Amino acid sequence: MLFLQLLANGLQVGAIYALTAAGFSLIFGSTKIFHFAHGATFAIAAYLFHFALAGLGLHWTFAVAVAAFSAVLFGVLLDRLMYAPIQRHEGSFFTVFVASFGIGIVVQNLLGSVFGRGFMSVATPLSNSVEVMPGLYLSPLNGLAIVSAIVCFAALHFFLTRTFVGKGLRALSENPELVRMFGLSPRRLSTYAFALGSLLVVPGAIFTAAGTGINPAVGHHVMLISLAATIVGGIGSLRGAACAGLLIGVAENLALWKLGTQWSEAMTFAILFFFIIFKPSGFFGRATVS
Amino acid sequence: MLRKTLFSITFAIGLASAVSVQADGIEIGAVFPLSGPNATYGDIFMSGAELAARHVNEDGVLTGDLNILYEDSQALPQQGVVAMNKLVNVEGVPYVLSAFTGVSKAISTLARRSQTVAVNGGGVGPDLAELGDYFWNVIPLANNEVGALARYAVEDLGHKRFTLVYVDDPLGESILNELEKTLPPLGAELVESHSIAASAQQFSGVAARVRSSNPDVVYVASYGSQQLQIVKQLRDNGVKARIASYSAFSVPELQAQAEAQGALFTTQSIDWDSEDPVTKRFVDDYRAEHNKNPTSYIANYYNAVRVFALLAQALEEQGKEITGANLLAQRKATDTFELVGGEVSFQENGTLLAPIQVLKVDGSGSGKVVSVKAAD
Repeated sequence: MLFLQLLANGLQVGAIYALTAAGFSLIFGSTKIFHFAHGATFAIAAYLFHFALAGLGLHWTFAVAVAAFSAVLFGVLLDRLMYAPIQRHEGSFFTVFVASFGIGIVVQNLLGSVFGRGFMSVATPLSNSVEVMPGLYLSPLNGLAIVSAIVCFAALHFFLTRTFVGKGLRALSENPELVRMFGLSPRRLSTYAFALGSLLVVPGAIFTAAGTGINPAVGHHVMLISLAATIVGGIGSLRGAACAGLLIGVAENLALWKLGTQWSEAMTFAILFFFIIFKPSGFFGRATVS
Repeated sequence: MLRKTLFSITFAIGLASAVSVQADGIEIGAVFPLSGPNATYGDIFMSGAELAARHVNEDGVLTGDLNILYEDSQALPQQGVVAMNKLVNVEGVPYVLSAFTGVSKAISTLARRSQTVAVNGGGVGPDLAELGDYFWNVIPLANNEVGALARYAVEDLGHKRFTLVYVDDPLGESILNELEKTLPPLGAELVESHSIAASAQQFSGVAARVRSSNPDVVYVASYGSQQLQIVKQLRDNGVKARIASYSAFSVPELQAQAEAQGALFTTQSIDWDSEDPVTKRFVDDYRAEHNKNPTSYIANYYNAVRVFALLAQALEEQGKEITGANLLAQRKATDTFELVGGEVSFQENGTLLAPIQVLKVDGSGSGKVVSVKAAD
């Protein structure tokens, strides 16, 4: 029964990881921008959801809208006001990384200053587990996280395969020059990528605020998982990042079945090293020749 | 011309008086977590230290104003050493307030080498008592806290099975060692122990393991935001066993946390309603300023600053310089100190010995005392 319990926990955690990793992978795959501040987007969405719900007393649907709007706005503003000027001046990959890393630190400290540096969580009965069968406890949040992830991925798949902008985003990741030749603006597509990638962190941020709770440094862990999942899934592969996020979440939890609890976080790196050594192209990535 | 001259004279006088204030001031240092996930402790520690400095200055205990120079350790040993280096080598302070077991151990070498007194009021690792003459503790250490809680849980409540969730650092290790040592003689056992990384935030899997071990008591040895996350996730994931911890549970966020209600924790025993003048003044002024009861951490750092003031006052009266070596000699020559909580004395190893109280988190902000145990 412990195995089943850990698997159920792992699926919930994995669903959240999959969404955040897919957001990072979408941005990185389309724009080649190492958006380290993706973790900050997660933290902003989580904090503003908490503030709208607990601080302003808004209905949860409005709180979700506030979180979604703030995440998208933050992502788009970063793209327009920071990454675009750096790229215009032909800043290197490293310059973009350092700038993004700095924004992550600034956001962490700003959130700490505004909302306090301690722990916060949304008080909701949805996070309380009930015993569904002897030894197996599930909370409504478990199911909601998994259903949300499935809905989000279905919507994302539809968007990327059936809409003009979605096809443009996929084309951007393949060949920006060709996109330009077809009269599309890579810059505008980049903004769409940031908006969509940032929106994907929102469900995870909300479920984290309600489930595990948040602190200003919550974005670091998200970024770590997103990065590992992007590499394990295959750089540029959205499907790969999602599967890798799910795999990491499940593996972190199932590790507790037979191993000590201290090995839980190490599983992420064990999986990462395994792929780097034995399958560097990741789950669905293409082999490259340098 | 006259106006210019007047401005110059005023400016010069202002500058001279500023310099003279700085020269007359007596400075001590503090290495506290002021940013990061444990910054909430820094705010708490500062409130106690600042209140003591205010009382010292109001009473004119020293010949100059007492100022505390704060440096940020982020509760990390390496940052703590950088901060301590600055305080000792740049600012030249003779006395530094320290916190957190890992940070305190890291800075103790520099304290000994530079003959600077470091005083801990927040870390509880038992090996903090063995860091040399220049490292003092104004807080009972984990061996006393764990022992008192174990005796209460086993002897008074009849609990036998303990599970430990502990952060993988010197503090967590020391509590694991203490529980392994303390429980068997009482007829209880540590059925499982779960080590977690200091950065871990996801504990639903740990909760599943804890639940499957069916303990009577889950002892949580963590601090900061993490301990709140552990408590919430244990309860959310169906762990119904009694939760217990050490003095880190005395922070306001945990005291107000719904999932923590009913949890047991320990601190040194201080009667907030005591009529002794030092305790009464501390409690009254703290309540007036913050509109709530103080906690033991606040009293510890108040005491740490007060100990300095009392020692420095004695040195000034003897015409001696306020140095780390002289402070140490004066402490050894002083039998007892009038501190918050009553008259106390230091043990030979520089650690205060105090009775331990077991409290229950009851939403009041400071917990309800359910038992007082003599220190081991």
